[in-house]
Amino acid sequence: MRDRSILLVEDNPDDEALTRRALAKNNIQNEIVVARDGAEALDCLFGTGAHAGQPMAPEIVLLDLKLPKVDGLEVLRRIRAEPRTRLLPVVILTSSREERDIVNGYGLGANSYIRKPVDFGQFVEAVRQLGLYWLVLNEPPPKPGAA
Amino acid sequence: MIPRLSFERRIQIAFGIGVAIVDLVGAASLRSTAATVDSALGVAHTLQVRAQLEATFGKLIAAESGVRGYVITGDTTYLAPYRWVRATLDSSLADLRALTADNPAQQRHLDSLAKVVAVRMERFQWSIDTRRTGGAATAGRAVIGGRGKELIAVIRSLIGQMEDEEARLLAQRFRAMESRARLARVTAWGGSLLALMVGILAPVLVGRELRARRQAEERLRHMVDSVRDYAIYMLDPTGRVVSWNRGAEQTKGYRAAEIVGQHFSRFFTPEDVAAGRPAALLQAAAADGRYEEENWRVRKDGSRFWADVVVSAVRDERGTLVGFAKVTRDLTERKRAAEEMQRSAAQLEAANRELEAFAYSVSHDLRAPLRTMDGFSQALLEDYADRLDDPGRDFLERIRVASQRMARLIDDLLGLSRVTRSDMQLADVNLSKLADQVAGELQKTEPDRRVTWTIAPGLVARADAGLLRLVLQNLLGNAWKFTAKRPAAHVEFGATSHNGRKAYFVRDDGAGFDMAYADKLFGAFQRLHGIAEFPGTGVGLATVQRIIHRHGGEVWAEAAVDQGATFYFTL
Repeated sequence: MRDRSILLVEDNPDDEALTRRALAKNNIQNEIVVARDGAEALDCLFGTGAHAGQPMAPEIVLLDLKLPKVDGLEVLRRIRAEPRTRLLPVVILTSSREERDIVNGYGLGANSYIRKPVDFGQFVEAVRQLGLYWLVLNEPPPKPGAA
Repeated sequence: MIPRLSFERRIQIAFGIGVAIVDLVGAASLRSTAATVDSALGVAHTLQVRAQLEATFGKLIAAESGVRGYVITGDTTYLAPYRWVRATLDSSLADLRALTADNPAQQRHLDSLAKVVAVRMERFQWSIDTRRTGGAATAGRAVIGGRGKELIAVIRSLIGQMEDEEARLLAQRFRAMESRARLARVTAWGGSLLALMVGILAPVLVGRELRARRQAEERLRHMVDSVRDYAIYMLDPTGRVVSWNRGAEQTKGYRAAEIVGQHFSRFFTPEDVAAGRPAALLQAAAADGRYEEENWRVRKDGSRFWADVVVSAVRDERGTLVGFAKVTRDLTERKRAAEEMQRSAAQLEAANRELEAFAYSVSHDLRAPLRTMDGFSQALLEDYADRLDDPGRDFLERIRVASQRMARLIDDLLGLSRVTRSDMQLADVNLSKLADQVAGELQKTEPDRRVTWTIAPGLVARADAGLLRLVLQNLLGNAWKFTAKRPAAHVEFGATSHNGRKAYFVRDDGAGFDMAYADKLFGAFQRLHGIAEFPGTGVGLATVQRIIHRHGGEVWAEAAVDQGATFYFTL
């Protein structure tokens, strides 16, 4: 059972590497599962496709918006529509600061919206706060899939 | 209040009064004439009675003379008048009775007269008998001793009375006739005078009204005729053209002479005529009083124009349809312009959508490589620090600075495009308060800097609050930035008047700039200072200008090198 894992939905390997580095620099030891597009993210969460029979119940989802196949907002919508993942904390982690992305993200039930800064120092700081808040301070909702 | 009567009604009433006066005068004259005839008949009647009385008396006198002659001479021929009187007396009296049947007094007189005359007739008979039997001497005594003289006197008196009565009647009838004639004269004169007055006054009043009407009509006709941009014309109830103005000639190409009397369906397109539109149009106008449509119409030369058509039913006082007033305007140009504008708007919208898609893509995709450059440069600096010398670390730092600067440029560029794309929400914005907040935020970034802020209170403008905040952030931010090298600076926000419009300004006593380059000031990515001297992307003033232009205002600057700059804007 993957317990305190983090699902990182990210298609850019550079960004993935930088995110892993930022998490590591902040001593966040949780297992990181990476989905490279929206469809894969949904398979992970719902136990379908390549992940058949093994639905994942991560601590948090770090969701990029611009993704191949199924985009981030659609992934969020499906997460919120499914009773099992309805309460799952989802943090949008994206390049965009477009107002409509922010509004749509919150509108579909995102828990946070964080824009990836170009300055890596700032990014590390953002990830530190994010980890501290969501993985340490925040009391997560009970996990329906967990025993 | 008396309701204002229509001109026609007033003419009818006045005419009625005139006729009534003439009728009255005529009736009075007629009555007076009838009365005169009546009186004349009465006079004739009186004279007839008198004549009859005289005749009767004359007969008696003649009889008396005859009887005397016979008594004296015994000659029976003298008895002829007496015999004649005897034979006709009754009928004479009957005539008199009939003539005076309407007068009881005369009838009574007549009764007495008949009695006395009868006695006298008996005395005549007696005298005659006496002469025949007793001879001349006896008869003569009888005649002299008889009461013949008194009887005649009585008869004369009775007849006199009857004549007086008739004379009295005659005088009475004359008086009646005279008074009626006077009344008739007064009525005739008065009526004639009144009729004369009406006759004089009526044409004056009618003339004045007609003149006013004619003037009003002329004014209206001149007005209608001088209208060139509108075709204004009348149709009869069946749709035939009755009148035609210059505007109609100009719009449709027909001259009045060639179109008046023609049916208006020729202005419609063949399709509309086939669909029965002309009749339907009139029907709708007749039913609702008014009908309006925008549609194609046809000119004389066959060309089509887009027309705004208003048809109004024209009804008289009784509500009978007398025709239609039509006003047609050629809107072809306007329609073309509107369509052109619509096309442009659609193009603009498409361009905007494209721009938005582009901006979205830029926002997502252009930043990702920068993060890689910056992130891995930092990773090198951290993980391979021991294998890098100072120049190597410097190179990596330069890569990082350039990446971050590029990220800022992208952000500013997106901000600039967002300023153009965002919806404006106009409200009363307190610019003074906004300037206060922005100044406070700037001061917080470098609390140690000595800058005196002078912000005029109570400046309120109708604008989009978010965009105006951006304007003040940029202008006050520039003032803050370009005074950074002064030990003590002064930044002012206020309002002044420029060409009659209220102009807001931000003034600083900082580095300023050379006015020779003022035209480059508001271009995107244009900078008048080196990066090393003052930081910035050169997008701020371009953003300010776009926002001010979107508000319909203007922005300009006055400055001199090292003497500060003043930026003005109107809204």
